[in-house]
Amino acid sequence: MPFLNDIHKYTSLSIVGLEKNTGKTECLNYVLSRLRSSHKQIALTSIGIDGESRDQVTHTNKPEIELSEGMIFVTTELHYKQRKLLSEVIDVSRQSTSLGRLVTAKALTKGKVILSGPASNHSIKELIADLKNKGVELCIVDGALSRKSIGSPAVTEAMILATGAALSANITQLVYKTKYVYDLIQLPEIELNLKAQLAEVNSGIWAIDSKGRFQHTGISSVLLIKKEKDKLFEYGNGFFVSGAVTDQFLEFLKNQKQISEINLIVRDFTRVFAKPETYYAFVKRGGRMQVLNKTNLLAITINPVSPDGYRLNSDELKSALQDKVNVPVYDIKNIQ
Amino acid sequence: MFREVVAHISGLQFLMEDLDLRSPMGRRYLLDSKMMYCKKEITEELNLVDQLVQALELNSDLISKIQNKLMHLRDIRGSVNNLIGNLVLDDVELFEIKLFALLAQEIIELQKEGNQSFLEISDLSQLIRLLDPQNTKIPSFYIYDNYSIELTEARKELKLAKSKNGESDLDTEVLFVKMQGIEANVREELCTNISQFGDVLANALNQLAHFDLLISKAVQAKKWFLSKAKISEEKTLYVGMFNPMIKNELANHKKEYQAIDIELEKSVCLITGANMAGKTVVLKTLALCQYLFQFGFFVPATSAQISIVDKVMISVGDEQSELNGLSSFASEMLNVNCMVKDSKNQNNVLILIDELARTTNPVEGLAIVNAVADIFYQGKIKSVITTHYSGLKSKFRKLRVKGLDKDLGVNTITHKNINSYMDYSLVEDLEGEVPHEALRIASLLGIDKEIIDGAQNQLASKNKL
Repeated sequence: MPFLNDIHKYTSLSIVGLEKNTGKTECLNYVLSRLRSSHKQIALTSIGIDGESRDQVTHTNKPEIELSEGMIFVTTELHYKQRKLLSEVIDVSRQSTSLGRLVTAKALTKGKVILSGPASNHSIKELIADLKNKGVELCIVDGALSRKSIGSPAVTEAMILATGAALSANITQLVYKTKYVYDLIQLPEIELNLKAQLAEVNSGIWAIDSKGRFQHTGISSVLLIKKEKDKLFEYGNGFFVSGAVTDQFLEFLKNQKQISEINLIVRDFTRVFAKPETYYAFVKRGGRMQVLNKTNLLAITINPVSPDGYRLNSDELKSALQDKVNVPVYDIKNIQ
Repeated sequence: MFREVVAHISGLQFLMEDLDLRSPMGRRYLLDSKMMYCKKEITEELNLVDQLVQALELNSDLISKIQNKLMHLRDIRGSVNNLIGNLVLDDVELFEIKLFALLAQEIIELQKEGNQSFLEISDLSQLIRLLDPQNTKIPSFYIYDNYSIELTEARKELKLAKSKNGESDLDTEVLFVKMQGIEANVREELCTNISQFGDVLANALNQLAHFDLLISKAVQAKKWFLSKAKISEEKTLYVGMFNPMIKNELANHKKEYQAIDIELEKSVCLITGANMAGKTVVLKTLALCQYLFQFGFFVPATSAQISIVDKVMISVGDEQSELNGLSSFASEMLNVNCMVKDSKNQNNVLILIDELARTTNPVEGLAIVNAVADIFYQGKIKSVITTHYSGLKSKFRKLRVKGLDKDLGVNTITHKNINSYMDYSLVEDLEGEVPHEALRIASLLGIDKEIIDGAQNQLASKNKL
């Protein structure tokens, strides 16, 4: 599989499923199986407690990842106890998550583990840096793409996106929805000097004035935009939104007369919660969007089987999606 | 305990935050430390700090190596308590204990290498031998094969089955469960074996926390030019006393702090002086120094000799009183009443009262000051009272802030630069008169001229009568 050659260029990779059962775990297991022959030190972790809260209660459906000897993995204390392999603890975090502290361990035999990891962007970055210090050459993050998670897989250098019939049973719809996420992932990154300025910003809407400086608009969240519309254009038409960009907010911007001058900077593609229709209308009318953190999409994998048993034609889906996107598309269960 | 004092004493919090503590236990150790009343204890602690201050001069490399190790320490109280309570620990807890023991041992080695023994740390080498059966000294842990032949065999068998039949095979799962069972037995046995080290571990944990605190005290002493106070039986004497928090604030505005000298006897001492002359700061700094000294810190002064007291009581009039329905006068009086009562029970105390009875009329106010001062005078209580009232009894010792005595030249004083013209030093004052500079200070502060003129007219007409 060609995208595996690209992996060697990066030190961190996330694998993100657009929906449950889109084959993320298969994709991860596949990547791992292909990396087995390379002699890289690999580490695995996950963002937050993946999936629905139901899983935490029943502890069902949580996919286990198959590790081979020598791999490093990071998981919470609770899931560490449930591991099905022999491993040695090499570190324990000071901070605790809802499932206990994070345990970093090295697999001494092959076997399965459940992955769970830090919840915030900051702690994932820290963890990846720490793993690099421990000699890890490639850090793979099992990424959840969920509104509930504050951590974003965009902190990794590279990404593989998993999509499939679970997202939509209609090929046209599925391609449309996947293409939308693809477009967001491909949003251009802002210049380096702006990046440095914005790195410390944690909340609110910020405007860029004519001199290129950031000014706080005084609006703390896009949710309050209705009440404080008047403040928004005080400094200019460039904005940085630290948190989520809602459909309502984008709709509002879209309807402004100076739309062609509007430049919206978001933290990363996961922060855009607008409907695809709204986003495309915004772009069509001349609005621009940029991201603070861009990640390199290496490939898209498809799972033509939906959890309720519905099966799409793999080749048809693959070629329909491949027509729209500029990265390789693979059916993970059917790789030549 | 330090925890209780730190919030009340101005400047103490500042110094605590300023401490360069490396381990999470260092801070807890400080917060839990008790105020010391015994000469021997204080001397020991101060000598340790002194030893480290010198080591920072001569062998700063060693200290930074030790600090580096301390930084990696975790607060493993929970695991240690589980161990003492004879519980079976999990791999993560055992890992923590091993990591801790290895670090502690490395710090012992570092002290040995540097031919320095600042603080004795319990030897944990026997414990390390148990948790590191392969003798790798690598901070990682699992239930090693070395612990049991049975476990080694079970693991081999499992590995074989896995590679032959695959992961989800029934046989493999049976073998996995069997292996887990043996592992649990081995873990239990291991925990029984190491539980005897529970107390030693708890000791080491405390010693290292103390060590961390000592180093940070020494670093702070060096940074702020604090000095080791001598223990005195009688007088308390500070030369060049300063308040680090205020000094820092002034330095941020590129201003200088004028250190002062003060001597306290076992009697009452009244401080008078103009407004803005730093009387309150003197009181607060005296309290701060007394606490620092009895918590084993160096004190902010060029030199100092301090007598140990059983209690420090301070009233600076910033207590919240609206909530319990007391006027500021009432809450002050109740507070002072407690001080007087306490001073009768135990006379070795330090009492500091800022502008006693200032919130009532000057006639009765003065009477109250004289009365309270008299009680402290009779009782030989080490106490300081600041006041603006004239007519203090002449038998009391009085100190006066020199005030705006410096040569002004052509410069005009404003509230922004008054600090540079104020002479904050204290002089013995034999007269009973207090400086009348309130209006002058008020006008410097830019108070409306109408007020100043009105007040001056009042005074003039009064004088005529």
